[in-house]
Amino acid sequence: MEGEMLKGHLDMIVLAALAPGPAHGYAVIEEIRRKSGRAFDLPEGTIYPALHRLEQAGLLSSRWVTAESGRRRRVYALTRQGGRALAERRAVWRQFSDAVGGLLDGVRPSRRPA
Amino acid sequence: MITQYLAELAAALSFDRRLARRVAREVEDHLRETVAEYAPGDRAEAERRAIANFGDPRVLAMQFASLSLARRTRRAGIAVVLAVIAVLMAMKVRVAWYAAAEWRIGEDARQLAGTVLAIDRYAFWGAIIVGLIALFYAGYIRVPAVLQAKYCRQNRRVIFLCAAAACSLVVSVVSDGVLTALHLSGELREAAIIPLVSMAAEIACAGAVILLIIDTLRGRMRTEALLRA
Repeated sequence: MEGEMLKGHLDMIVLAALAPGPAHGYAVIEEIRRKSGRAFDLPEGTIYPALHRLEQAGLLSSRWVTAESGRRRRVYALTRQGGRALAERRAVWRQFSDAVGGLLDGVRPSRRPA
Repeated sequence: MITQYLAELAAALSFDRRLARRVAREVEDHLRETVAEYAPGDRAEAERRAIANFGDPRVLAMQFASLSLARRTRRAGIAVVLAVIAVLMAMKVRVAWYAAAEWRIGEDARQLAGTVLAIDRYAFWGAIIVGLIALFYAGYIRVPAVLQAKYCRQNRRVIFLCAAAACSLVVSVVSDGVLTALHLSGELREAAIIPLVSMAAEIACAGAVILLIIDTLRGRMRTEALLRA
């Protein structure tokens, strides 16, 4: 998938990857790859500025933990505000996706509240 | 290879040392885990692939730079407003103390005190208004994913506003110092400890804000150097 197209939705993708529970950067990337059927394959480093940006915006929280390997790693989790933001973005995305799908397929989109 | 990559990343992030330390630790954990996933096999090749997949350190630094700049300018705006509030509280404590102790300025210094008081008020209100404008403007600016010249210009405006508010606050504190000196002139008794301590607190607040703004300016210059590199 086009990198530029992905970057526009990176925040939503990262929030969605953290919806199942707290995870560190590597696990977030793995979750994105797994859930997207490897369609989203961004340069791995791109995730970290996004994680920091979302944390600065109050949508994520983070803390250092010690992994089984003994390495210290930063684990990120959705905050309540982050959960709300994800729900809002999900609703907007579905509405947009339905509308574009309707246009492309010539089918009238189903009306859903945003 | 990973150590060299981390050193390059830390050098690219040198505009914000705290951020550089945190990012280097996170990235090291990430790269080591990636290399472990590639195993067994050629370790050097696994490290090379992990680094290639991670991306160019300079590109990453440009993405972190806008976040660092946003955090620094917001911190400066908040610090200015908090310093103004602290100075106001110190001022109120001193004025209440003068009233309780029935401590008045002598007749001969009343005219000078009136002029200084007027300067104090204008400077103080100037600091509040400009400080709040800086804080709201800093909150209004949208942080881009990658550092951009336009964003740097907007941040420069916020720091300029913070500096203007801090200068106004310094004028207010100096005026307070003159008024305190006029109150205390002639009779330095034990009760003078409250005005002196409150003045020391005002000077400390104004000094801390000035130092923070200087630090923010230096950080901004180091961050903007990325655009020129």
